[in-house]
Amino acid sequence: MQNKNEIALEKHESVILLNIQGDITSFSEPFLNQAYAEANDQGAQKILLNVEEGAYINSGGIAVLIQILAQTKKNNQQICIAGLSDHFKKIFNMVGITKFADIHEDVDSAITAMSG
Amino acid sequence: MTENQADSTVKIILANQIGYERLAMACSASFAKMFGFPKDRIEDLKTIVAEASINAMQHGNKGRADAKVIVTFGYQEDMIRVKVADEGEGIKEKPPNPNINKIIEEDEVVCGFGLFLIEQLADQVEYRKNAGKGHVVEMALKMKA
Repeated sequence: MQNKNEIALEKHESVILLNIQGDITSFSEPFLNQAYAEANDQGAQKILLNVEEGAYINSGGIAVLIQILAQTKKNNQQICIAGLSDHFKKIFNMVGITKFADIHEDVDSAITAMSG
Repeated sequence: MTENQADSTVKIILANQIGYERLAMACSASFAKMFGFPKDRIEDLKTIVAEASINAMQHGNKGRADAKVIVTFGYQEDMIRVKVADEGEGIKEKPPNPNINKIIEEDEVVCGFGLFLIEQLADQVEYRKNAGKGHVVEMALKMKA
């Protein structure tokens, strides 16, 4: 029952986009950490996490995302999140993720905002 | 896996394995839809059921493969009541709400988000010992937030 994530990296000028396929749970930790490390190898200063439509995110996944946010904070990187449903926008606001990462409706609007 | 009882209560018994909470989520969504709950409340219900089930598997049953988690749904007066029972001892002391500022800026351990979400999203939450053995979390969710 362990879920796997496929995370594809795309470079959009100054923004590194991490397209996360699959649910985000505690099992996502190695996949997200590896993708974040690859983004760092590419010299990422701006990182955009794009969540797959309809993805299930639980408290374990929230913990993994917060650990990534902590690393971006230490590395002085900007991080944004796109693709969240209204429910998970509410959840991310509740837990305080929105204090450390801007939430955007979709990838295009996020990249436009981050490139400004 | 499901057992329909005369009073419209539905009970499901989950294997103590992370991932099986999704069955309880799917069941909760169907149950709430049957009683006309709006989409946003169904999403809230799915989250509290998932988090309570995960807590029951990990903390209540301590990951034991032979343990079970029993989730019961009932509907009464525009409110869904959910009981999530495990075979553990229950919460000795409720952890403080997680503080994301401390986690990110002071390397505080990341924990407690499951209970935090349950208490934020549910309209009522109670933790109590089961009459026989084990522990149960009882949650209620109104049709309108």
